[in-house]
Amino acid sequence: MKKYFGNIGAAVAVVSLVGGITMSVPSHSKMRVAVGATETVSSYNPHGDSISMGYGIWCQVYGCLGYFDFKTGSYKGMLAERWETDKKNPNIWTFYLRKGLKRHNDGKELTSADVVHAFNRMKTDPQSRQTQNVKHVAKTEAIDKYTVRVTTKKPTAPLLEFLFDRVMITSKDLFDKHGAKTADRKYPWGWGPYKLKQIKIGQQIALEKAKGNVFATSSMPDELIFRVMREPEQRVTALLNKEIQIAQFIPPHLASRIQKSANSNLVPTSSVELMFLAMSPKYKPYDNPVLRKAICHAINRDGIIKAILKDQAQRLDAPIGPGQYGYNAKEAAKMKVEYSVAKAKAMIEKAGLKGTKVELSTPVNRYVNDKQVTESMIPMLKAIGLDARLKTPEWPTLWANVQKGKVPFFYMGRGGVVDPSPAFAQYFEKGGSPRIGWSSPVVDGLLQKERATFDPTERKKVLNQAFAEIVKQQPACFMWRHKLLYGISKSLAYKPTPTGRIWGADMSAN
Amino acid sequence: MSRGTQCLGSLLDYKMFKYLTRRIIGTIPVVILISLLVFMLVQLAPGDPADMLLSEEATPEDIAAARERWGLNEPIYIQYWKFLLSAIQGDLGTSFRYADPVLTVIADRLPATIELAFFAILVAIIIGVPLGVWAGARPNSWVDNIGSFFGFFGISMPSFWFGIMLILIVSGFLNLLPSAGRETYGVSGDPITGFYILDSVLTRNWAAAVDGLKYLVLPAIALGTNMLGILMRVTRSSVMEVMNEDFVRTARSKGLGERVILWKHVVRNALIPIITVVGLELGTLLSGSIIVETVFAWPGSGFLLIEAINSRDYPLITGTVLSYTLMFVIINLTIDLLYASIDPRIRFEK
Repeated sequence: MKKYFGNIGAAVAVVSLVGGITMSVPSHSKMRVAVGATETVSSYNPHGDSISMGYGIWCQVYGCLGYFDFKTGSYKGMLAERWETDKKNPNIWTFYLRKGLKRHNDGKELTSADVVHAFNRMKTDPQSRQTQNVKHVAKTEAIDKYTVRVTTKKPTAPLLEFLFDRVMITSKDLFDKHGAKTADRKYPWGWGPYKLKQIKIGQQIALEKAKGNVFATSSMPDELIFRVMREPEQRVTALLNKEIQIAQFIPPHLASRIQKSANSNLVPTSSVELMFLAMSPKYKPYDNPVLRKAICHAINRDGIIKAILKDQAQRLDAPIGPGQYGYNAKEAAKMKVEYSVAKAKAMIEKAGLKGTKVELSTPVNRYVNDKQVTESMIPMLKAIGLDARLKTPEWPTLWANVQKGKVPFFYMGRGGVVDPSPAFAQYFEKGGSPRIGWSSPVVDGLLQKERATFDPTERKKVLNQAFAEIVKQQPACFMWRHKLLYGISKSLAYKPTPTGRIWGADMSAN
Repeated sequence: MSRGTQCLGSLLDYKMFKYLTRRIIGTIPVVILISLLVFMLVQLAPGDPADMLLSEEATPEDIAAARERWGLNEPIYIQYWKFLLSAIQGDLGTSFRYADPVLTVIADRLPATIELAFFAILVAIIIGVPLGVWAGARPNSWVDNIGSFFGFFGISMPSFWFGIMLILIVSGFLNLLPSAGRETYGVSGDPITGFYILDSVLTRNWAAAVDGLKYLVLPAIALGTNMLGILMRVTRSSVMEVMNEDFVRTARSKGLGERVILWKHVVRNALIPIITVVGLELGTLLSGSIIVETVFAWPGSGFLLIEAINSRDYPLITGTVLSYTLMFVIINLTIDLLYASIDPRIRFEK
């Protein structure tokens, strides 16, 4: 028996040795920030993905014309120094590029030929998942070495929403010489502050600060690593044991672990994703505006935010919220739909809709506590006299059916709404998409008008008129915007952005 | 070696060759049938790759164009026929999501899965078999009780729950090992075989080898624990059975030591059911790796399959399932061949 113990002891010693070795972490003189991300890019092609974080990664490598700066609430140029629209012809936009921008590794200067090439590539590349962003563009021309003219098909005031940090400026010469595949894989050289050092698809992406790059400041991290960690437990644990410095999207039930930690902070940021209940009037009984309005009055949004979302959401009174383009607090207050069971019940009874069957479809684990949120809505709908049921199809099934306009009543989010114009055209304008299947000539007219209105004050006014009209008809009840929770190491000073893009420029050591 | 032995060897080789050929030919309809089944099931499942893979800002026109580009507008039987013709030529199509050939995408990820499965088996065999042998040799003793505890623990523990517990305790509370991933950026060199540990050893990059092991330990334990439990129980039963055989009594009467009898004679004779279980469990390990890889963000083919299913990447789903099928077939064949080398009484005639 002693020998058995001897063997076990030896095994324990080996395990301890390995354990001892594993505890030693290589030291880095460089400032490295690792991000635990729910997803990263799935392709070497900078236009081959359609995820928010991917836009940020590629923009920091290749460079993009500009981005929306949430600190100032306006668009800020990056590769484009400035831009203007033609006063006589609103279809013409002119972008003036920064001069003297040097490409990684070989120092080649950025020219308008590269920008024109990037626009064309985005439009024609069979791998491109970004063609919708250049659909308004009729023509892109190089006027001179540093000036690009973009001609739109129709006046498009929100054009920057489509182009900035979406069109990645890839190099024309590298593309022409090597072809798309080799250029993307072997020569991912750009004008952004970071060089692409490694892509392991499904695993991690590593960026390294480009020395001498005009956008790479000394306070920015030397290395930015994006590691795929889909499970929230992974991200929280990795943050707490210092494997990563930023943990994306912490669910409310794990927030306390970070709050209690000595080395990390929980940082909430309002997202630009609008959460709503959509009701398609193509289907009965949702064709009845009284029913739609009653449903909106029946949902206790404050109660859900407090009890289920643990106060990690911001109620939407209007279709959009603070910080989003066109938000006006006064107008929003007028659009607020009050929570009133009595009112909703009376509306249902008066319209003879008592006992009407309604089936709410919800994704599961797509949005924060989505199933719990919608489960809580069922008794609320029953309380006003509806025979409410919940349906929880798998996300691909639900999404495919929503895309085709086959789901009459659903809980959903629309992300990336900085300028609301594209999102509202998609959901509430005739021909936008069949998702809700609702449109009205008045709203169509207003949305078309705002796109053709270049004066910001006037455009915001028109947008709010459109919002008011949508709220009046209630094809959707606007619920809230989630506050995205980030776990951030105390060694890092960083304020996350509402879009989910992660910029090295926003970081510095604490 | 005598002439007679050489002839017998040749005869055996010929029989084995015949047997192998028959088995390999027999797998062809299996693979075709599975490909058809997977192809049909995937196509019948609700959801559309174009909806899943394009941006939520995509217009109906963008979605229609993607469907056209990916050949999704053709009838299913035409799609399958095209797939089959390409597959025969070694082309499993192009992944919708990754825009790379399916074989390349799988080949990129498969080494991670095989590496993980290998270490999981190692964990299961190194711990499970000795525990089972000790327990079987001394039934109802304290060794048996401890062994049985581990056995039942392994069998009854769901790998996803055990994985999360390992992350919380070993990574979170004890801070001993990393919680997720396969490597630390900047430690390893360029891949040679794709097997991280092997590459590190080949390039004598010991820091990378240790780094790789560090990431492997938790997922390998999470994946191997179930197999460990089963192996322990099967080994125990098999050893107990063999311990009652006549030859053991004869060995004892000849004065052989208990240790020699146990490890030299009993264990060898108890190996057949153990190998059968290892073979069967290898398949389970591969499917189990789908869950464990997700829990530990292990970039293997299981994780890939989940992503492919979620994005309805039809060619990748079919390709990954087919690669799993082929692995099952190869494993079963290997196990059959192993039987003969362990027990010469087993022949390949039928």
